[in-house]
Amino acid sequence: MTKKKTKTTPTQRDGDTSAKDAGKNISVLDRKDFISKLFKTGAGTLATTIVGNGMLKSVSSLYAQSKDNRAVKRKFRYGMVIDTRRCVGCRSCVLACKAENKTPSGVSYTVVFEEILENRPNDKPVFMTKPCFHCEHPPCTDVCPVSATFKRERDGIVVVDYERCIGCRYCMTACPYSARWFDFGENYPAIEQNTPWAQVPSPEYKQFRKRKNKQSPVGNVRKCTFCLHLQDEEGKYNKEEGRWPACAKTCTGKAIHFGDLNDPNSEVTVLLRERQYMRLKEELGTSPNCYYLI
Amino acid sequence: MIEKLGSLIERFKKETLINKLKMLWLLFFIPGLTGIIIRAVSGERLAGYGSYVPWGLWIAVYFHAVGISGGAFAVGVIGYLRGVRGLKENLRTTLIVSAVSLMTGLLAIWLDLGRPFRAYKILVSPNFGSMLDFNAWMYGIFLALVGLVFYLSLNKSGEEKTNDRSGWLVPILSLGVFLSIAYPSQSGAFFGVVDAKPFWSSAILPVLFLTSAVTSGASAMLLVHYYLLGDSANSAGPDEEPFPYLRKIILAGIVVYFLGEFSEYSLALWSPISHIKETILLIMFGRFWWVFWIIHIGGALAGFYLLFRSRSLNRLAAGALIIVTSFISTRLNILIPGQSIPEIRGLNEAFTHPRLSFSYTPTAVEYLVALFVISFGLALFHFSRRLLATFIEKNNGRRQ
Repeated sequence: MTKKKTKTTPTQRDGDTSAKDAGKNISVLDRKDFISKLFKTGAGTLATTIVGNGMLKSVSSLYAQSKDNRAVKRKFRYGMVIDTRRCVGCRSCVLACKAENKTPSGVSYTVVFEEILENRPNDKPVFMTKPCFHCEHPPCTDVCPVSATFKRERDGIVVVDYERCIGCRYCMTACPYSARWFDFGENYPAIEQNTPWAQVPSPEYKQFRKRKNKQSPVGNVRKCTFCLHLQDEEGKYNKEEGRWPACAKTCTGKAIHFGDLNDPNSEVTVLLRERQYMRLKEELGTSPNCYYLI
Repeated sequence: MIEKLGSLIERFKKETLINKLKMLWLLFFIPGLTGIIIRAVSGERLAGYGSYVPWGLWIAVYFHAVGISGGAFAVGVIGYLRGVRGLKENLRTTLIVSAVSLMTGLLAIWLDLGRPFRAYKILVSPNFGSMLDFNAWMYGIFLALVGLVFYLSLNKSGEEKTNDRSGWLVPILSLGVFLSIAYPSQSGAFFGVVDAKPFWSSAILPVLFLTSAVTSGASAMLLVHYYLLGDSANSAGPDEEPFPYLRKIILAGIVVYFLGEFSEYSLALWSPISHIKETILLIMFGRFWWVFWIIHIGGALAGFYLLFRSRSLNRLAAGALIIVTSFISTRLNILIPGQSIPEIRGLNEAFTHPRLSFSYTPTAVEYLVALFVISFGLALFHFSRRLLATFIEKNNGRRQ
């Protein structure tokens, strides 16, 4: 969904300035004076601006969202198909993701968990790599109080606007897959010691931010983006050119398959046609875009 | 050493109630200030929560303070409208308790934000689909309403009158009671809408949050009225209004809360395949069993006993103090265990890092900041009361 940047209108600026002056002028002597001064100083204007710019836009965006849901016309529907029979639990996807996105200590967009299944002929565990599932109905985006996290209209990738996120972490509790991470501002020693590694920017969202103390994304919620910075202008990835999500590109067992689930000829769609699959916690109605082949 | 300590205690006993409270306040404020400085310098690095348990002690303090705010307003204003002595003459004190508690809670959650200076965005560019945003707007509306009620309360022809000259005070107070019931209930809904956490996704949560709010709000009001008596508290009796009125509400609140909690817990424990049984067992017999058995159950029993049997006002106040402090466990026991069961088995072992753990223990900094938040609330209450007295004095002088 394209986000419109809220502009600071002259009215807003006037309101702010006069509200500051109000603090100096108001003496708590007479309630009538107090109320009249309050209105004169533009508190009313400020309130109107907030209502006009924020509330009405918010209500209209809710209406627009419901309209979008009725007739969603998406260019791509990116997703992953993870073959549990091929995954050996080497965790190269975890490292590749870290190297690609330069995620700090305590933030790992993908993890590999293992589950020992009962009543199997051997005791080999099932390994499952778990990135963000970029759900069709993501509960994390609905709870965000400032709409800082949202599902992109073009490709369905769930993203976080670092300049908008207030770090309340409501989205983290709402995600049924624990696929969101809070950036506490902790760094690996290489960053702390200001080695050349610290100067390498993260390509995330094509913003190329250098990690600095107390600057976003420190204090923000972070998550897997399907390496969307590797997309071209049209929003396409290219495996041959290496513009492919780092985890899928690096998978040693070729267990992670990535592609457009809307494309009937893509690798992922073919696999889903031919093999048996499952999705995690489907009963919640999130419709995750990551499938596990069993 | 022991002699010195003994003489200090003796000196403390001889001080007036206000001075005693000021000394106790310093015990909260000085370490609290240290905590807030550390929080400002180090951000959230020294907090104990992580990515799997993202909310900790400060969020519990926030919900507790918000509950006290709503409960104090509802109890105080209903008492005012019913003409309960003590509450009838002190409507503005009720407003101060409510507004101060709410601001204290908001300070707690503000300190919990990763980017606190962007908090204004909740109001400027809201998403009403989010319960957090809905709550924020409710708080804003409620604070505006408290201001309006304060203004109208100055327009009464006499302190004994219930309504003001314009006739708007009572209808707006009634609306305020509705809001003060609504937003503590919404705190329950705040968790209830999170389907990812089975323990939170329960329709009883708004009811439990409301009951807890009314109980702790009434306890806070009892303590405030005890404080208002000052040194004459020793001579006053517990049968003097508003104490019996508040006492009944607190007792009823405790009973209703535990009934609700019992119904939820017993159903889950009785069921052979309950999806929240693991969480409840964690609350009762996990690492923090003492929060449930000693603070929650023990605190409620001790408070109930003192409030039910006491014939002295001091003991009554002690009972209220136990309830208002121990009832934070009602928030903690919902907040933390709800996050402590992994959504997916094996996540705990998938990636090893202190932030990626389902076990949460508040750190020293978290406790210190919580102390600061409490001392902030107490100081704000004290200064608001003093400001109110000066304001009323000036306003009366102007009228004459």
